[in-house]
Amino acid sequence: MRDLKPRKDLLDIEGLELPEIEYVLSNAVPFKQLFQRSVKKVPTLRGKTVLNLFYEPSTRTSSSFEVAANRLSADVTNFTVSSSSVVKGESLLDTIETLQAMRSDYIVIRHQAAGVPNIVAQHTGASVINAGDGYHAHPTQALLDAMTFREVYPDYQGRRMVIVGDVLHSRVARSTSTLFHKLGIEVGVLGPGTLIPPGRHEFIQRFRSWDEVFDWKPDAVYLLRVQLERQEGMFFPSIAEYHKMYGMNTERLVRLRQIGAYLMHPGPVNRGVEITDEAMRYERSLISTQVENGIAVRMAVLHWLKPETDTD
Amino acid sequence: MPSASPRLFQHGRIASAGSRNLLVADVLVDETGRIIAVGPGLTAPAGAEVIDCSGGVLVPGMFDVHVHAREPGQEHKETLATCSAAALRGGITGVVLMPDTTPPIDTGNLVKSAMDLVSELSAIPMFQSGCLTKGREGREMAGFSGMASRGVPMLTDADRAVPCPDLLRRCMEYARDFDLLVTSHCDTPALTKAGAINEGRVSYRFGLPGIPAISQEIAIDRDIRVAQHTGAKLHLQQISTARGLKSMQGAKEAGTSVTGEVSPHHLVLTEQDIHDYNTHFKFHPPLRPAPDVEALVAGFIDGTIDVLACDHAPHTEFEKSSEFGSAPFGAAGLETTVPVMFDRFIRKGIFGWDLLIERYSIAPRRLVGLVPVMITEGAKAEFFVFDPEGTTAVTRETMKTKSPVTPFLGETLAGNVRGTVLGTAWYPQGK
Repeated sequence: MRDLKPRKDLLDIEGLELPEIEYVLSNAVPFKQLFQRSVKKVPTLRGKTVLNLFYEPSTRTSSSFEVAANRLSADVTNFTVSSSSVVKGESLLDTIETLQAMRSDYIVIRHQAAGVPNIVAQHTGASVINAGDGYHAHPTQALLDAMTFREVYPDYQGRRMVIVGDVLHSRVARSTSTLFHKLGIEVGVLGPGTLIPPGRHEFIQRFRSWDEVFDWKPDAVYLLRVQLERQEGMFFPSIAEYHKMYGMNTERLVRLRQIGAYLMHPGPVNRGVEITDEAMRYERSLISTQVENGIAVRMAVLHWLKPETDTD
Repeated sequence: MPSASPRLFQHGRIASAGSRNLLVADVLVDETGRIIAVGPGLTAPAGAEVIDCSGGVLVPGMFDVHVHAREPGQEHKETLATCSAAALRGGITGVVLMPDTTPPIDTGNLVKSAMDLVSELSAIPMFQSGCLTKGREGREMAGFSGMASRGVPMLTDADRAVPCPDLLRRCMEYARDFDLLVTSHCDTPALTKAGAINEGRVSYRFGLPGIPAISQEIAIDRDIRVAQHTGAKLHLQQISTARGLKSMQGAKEAGTSVTGEVSPHHLVLTEQDIHDYNTHFKFHPPLRPAPDVEALVAGFIDGTIDVLACDHAPHTEFEKSSEFGSAPFGAAGLETTVPVMFDRFIRKGIFGWDLLIERYSIAPRRLVGLVPVMITEGAKAEFFVFDPEGTTAVTRETMKTKSPVTPFLGETLAGNVRGTVLGTAWYPQGK
């Protein structure tokens, strides 16, 4: 049924071709329908092993991959490496050797340094899935965002999404904007000048205020998490000022409702920073749908990738 | 191999700084390592070794003012022996050693120890530079007078800028009386921070922290102003942007005593060449966008840039195999520089051997107070034989450096250094 070139790894969105994206997104739909059944498991990956290797704490993404792998009947090992035990740059090659010995078929990896999944992928026959590396990429997040957007907008092409917040330090912004652009969805960004890099993709237009955003009439507003722990310098004067300038507050919620736009967020949210409690209850919030679709999309990704671990 | 017999280099063509034309001539080197005859159709004296240089170009030995030999203290990366073998393989017959060894070379006694090691272990002349500040820590002035009495060619904190402008000013004021060249690695650490590659589209795409161009440009402007204020002689290392180049040009026009260098990688590679998080392309200053590279090439040709210097900075493959953000900056350069310059420029007619000799043999020697070498009667034999029809395969196995880490790894470059002559010694293929 498919004439796609077999792909071993999912490292970023840039390298994906449109038919591959369509393949994953369309396969995620039946996987999601599975969740309505009492038996949510299929035997697709029976006998295969998935290693969840997290160098950065992330309960959400890690659990999402674990559930996805379990529902495909794979054996899952969770391996969380506390960053304190990892000396900077010290033992990446040693780690890869250890991984090889474990003979996993799929390695899901999150790392605080950009490019680590690429290096791991070059040294192993297992399929490597990037679950977030530094500011670089978070491809499964982008895919679940696209699935979520397309569910509410089957006529998604030519529609508009604005990403709000810290684009500079965001792998989500990089991957999601790239994927949406590939799908023909227009992407804009709003945020302080310190956090909107001039080197961003040229297709991303920048807004300076919510007024400009609402004039543009986006179909969805995607709030980024303010990475408080990543602010190694001073990028804005205070959380209060950020909330005042860029947060989703009552007044902006009214205008969002007027244009009928949906609200998205990669989670976990900082209540009172990028979003108020009230906005969390917005009837067109897609935040929990994103979580649910995350499992379906990750099942579709595991199903799609072809490890080079089979020796027969 | 060193030998006491005379050598006749036959049927080669001699390159020189004066002219783009090559001179067809044989070169006879006597048993003391001196050139005693240059001319067509020389006959070999009895017992002479005859080296057929047909098709080859005889080029004066190159001189690199920016070399990290890593010994003492970091011999796992490189040693004086492997460093000098790499230099000979690349047609380089003299280098200036950076002082960022372990310990850093920041006193006269340490300079003497380092030079003792050189005379014991190196096959080529190496000149040990000294630190500007004690331990390269940027806090206190190092022992200038002691180092000056040991003949250091320059003072530099090697890959580190002196962060405090007041201390830099005092260093320059103090160095002036010893007629010492102050060499600056132009960088503003407060702007560079944990940056790994040039800040811009590529750093965004890779999700890596960027090093903004202004980090080097502000440092160039600052260092030039402090040099103008103090009257010190300033040398700028590794100029990498068009704007930095313009600053240097302006300073020269204003009569400031300033010189600048560029590396081969900044002349032939752009940030777009970085791929797959390959740390062999991680440099400080970083590879820049194409317009900067074009400006550097123009500045190299028109003489705004005085010298070529490869910043030979070997790190082990293991050290370079960590993730891009935390891998060390730098790569080996000694044995690839001449073939790279031939492959990318000379072969294509962009400039001739004369310009490369000016920038990589004559000017760097003058910069540190040495007499340039020439292939003429009465001169010491110090040249290499280059085969323009040959090729240089850059592989782990063929490289002489202890750390075969270079962005050109895996490439087959046009041209090959067939062998290097240094006095009585002839090193075919660097052996």
